[in-house]
Amino acid sequence: MKQPGPEKVLKQLPHDEKCWEEWERKGGWRPEGWKIVEMNDGPTLNDLKPEKFLIVHRPHGSMFHHSYGKVSQFFIGLLEGKLYGTKCSKCGLVYCPPRAHCFNPKCRLVETKWVELPKRGEVHSYTIMAIAWPSMAHLQPLVGVMVRIEGTNTCLPMTMRDIDPEKVNIGLKVNINISKQPKGDLLDVYATPAEEPVAPKRSPEELKRFREDMEKTRAWVKKTFGPK
Amino acid sequence: MGKKVGIVAGSISRFDNPRHTLQEEMCAEAVKMILDDVPDLELGDFIKKGYACCYSYFSDILEQQQCMHWIINDYLGLSGVPSYRVESGGATPIDAIVNAALWIRSGMFPVVLVVGWEKMDELPIQKVNEAIAIAGDTDWDFVSGFTYNAFYATMEARRMHVYGETEEDLAEVSVLCHNNSLENPYAQWPAQHGFSKITVEDVYKSRLISWPYRLYECAMTSEGASALLLANEETTKKLTDNPVWISGVGFGSDTMRAGDRPDNPAWKGLYPEDENIWPKHVPKPMSPYPDLQNFGALRVSARMAYKDAGIKDPRKEISFVEIFDPYAGVVLAGLEDFDFCKRGEGKNMLREGIIQRHGELPCQLSGALTAQGHAVGSTSIAQVVDSYWQLSNQIGKKWGAPGRQLNNPKKAFIHGHGGTGCQAGAVVLEV
Repeated sequence: MKQPGPEKVLKQLPHDEKCWEEWERKGGWRPEGWKIVEMNDGPTLNDLKPEKFLIVHRPHGSMFHHSYGKVSQFFIGLLEGKLYGTKCSKCGLVYCPPRAHCFNPKCRLVETKWVELPKRGEVHSYTIMAIAWPSMAHLQPLVGVMVRIEGTNTCLPMTMRDIDPEKVNIGLKVNINISKQPKGDLLDVYATPAEEPVAPKRSPEELKRFREDMEKTRAWVKKTFGPK
Repeated sequence: MGKKVGIVAGSISRFDNPRHTLQEEMCAEAVKMILDDVPDLELGDFIKKGYACCYSYFSDILEQQQCMHWIINDYLGLSGVPSYRVESGGATPIDAIVNAALWIRSGMFPVVLVVGWEKMDELPIQKVNEAIAIAGDTDWDFVSGFTYNAFYATMEARRMHVYGETEEDLAEVSVLCHNNSLENPYAQWPAQHGFSKITVEDVYKSRLISWPYRLYECAMTSEGASALLLANEETTKKLTDNPVWISGVGFGSDTMRAGDRPDNPAWKGLYPEDENIWPKHVPKPMSPYPDLQNFGALRVSARMAYKDAGIKDPRKEISFVEIFDPYAGVVLAGLEDFDFCKRGEGKNMLREGIIQRHGELPCQLSGALTAQGHAVGSTSIAQVVDSYWQLSNQIGKKWGAPGRQLNNPKKAFIHGHGGTGCQAGAVVLEV
């Protein structure tokens, strides 16, 4: 027998431990404020009566230290500007998101091998987010695409840039880009069009509504975050 | 031991947001209604008589509490009673019912009380979305910038591309659900928006969330609780003279990530008739069913439940359906995956009025997730309770809306699922 540790740090981008310790201490469940409210309540809308409630504003949260396990190579690849997937040498399926073990029932969970992937793919499906994560709200309307990277048997979800939301469609060929300042998660990857996009068919009413929706979304972003 | 599992009673503590009432208090309101309906039931007898409890809630984060069910169990005065919690995302409450039914069928317990709830207003809405979204793969789904809204939207965009569904279809589903909820005193939509009917134009006026989905086409976030008292055949007949039977249960699963489905070798060849339904203009993936358009887990759970219940032709035998519809398009997909029509034809059942309240196969009579509400751990229990009231001819009394009683319904199908269809459960009820 052998002991597995201790771990050896090969390379690192340290986080500001002090700042996050402070944040964890602040988010320590003690109320920061409160309010007393009155509202009608009861088990059915036919049976309501006024009730008084005390509501406390109670924070908590912390920093997680997460390992990407045996698929770490994918994210190490992103830090180096490369795109990796895994391939099963038994059945030939190529995974991105990668799997360290093949999930084809015939392959009995055999270990896969790393392969470098081309930075090209095709849109399998898409959406236009008028509400994205708060950290990305300034980018709304944000195009989200499920991309089948060339040669893979999977779709990787990512956002798409440099495209009119009206034009994104299933089947569009895309380039895969890796952020110049990668942080080490999937958001480092984004798509851009690799060909002139052809908009999906929309009726005149649908198109009008679509454009109004985009207009409203952009106006909200401008109002909230100011002009670029 | 007989296969029959009876519903003795069911109850809901209404869905709304916020309720401000604690989880254990909403659960107590629900269980109290069951005690009122079943005078012979004594909570103090549970241990002596070998009864059990099965608890259902989804999120430790939204509850701000791990093991919330210990609080519920304690609050209801059930110390000592055999119990545990079932959790499987959105499938939590249907799986709790399936679990309880299997407990009874095993012969282990003559009676099981199922209690489900959720608390969802205590975090800012973005954080609520986040707490839900981390049921998606946090390394590969969630961090791509997609919420569940966005994932379901990509699934619907493919249904539009492959099957020709339209924005109007989605809006019509939303109208159907909302207008069905208007007489439901347990529903969140009328509690917040009043009692007037809505139209397709109202849906279009609601804000875009993630194209093609708009606000009124997405589930509400809700708080509420519900409970079901299940028993074996003998005990059911002792406790009620108006029983409904859970004649079939089923459950199934699919990949964690929707994006892994199009070429998933596990699906290939399982449903050849569905694989053959494919338009010429779209390249065919290796496993054409379910791809992103349909839900394999729903198919597996439904066929298992039908087989269990001895149902040969669901379209003819089922009187009404409650589909778990976090997004409007799931109603149309579900109709296909549950064998009520062929793949791609869900929209026809909508357009022909078949799933309307007075149609041949009414769907979403409660209003379902977009209108009754979606207090996750309680959602499918409430949908089963509404359906139980329909089948036992109690909806008039329980809703205070006699006009809503269907004429002599015989069988109902209720389904639930979690994630992007990562897991699903289903029950068949019959009188």
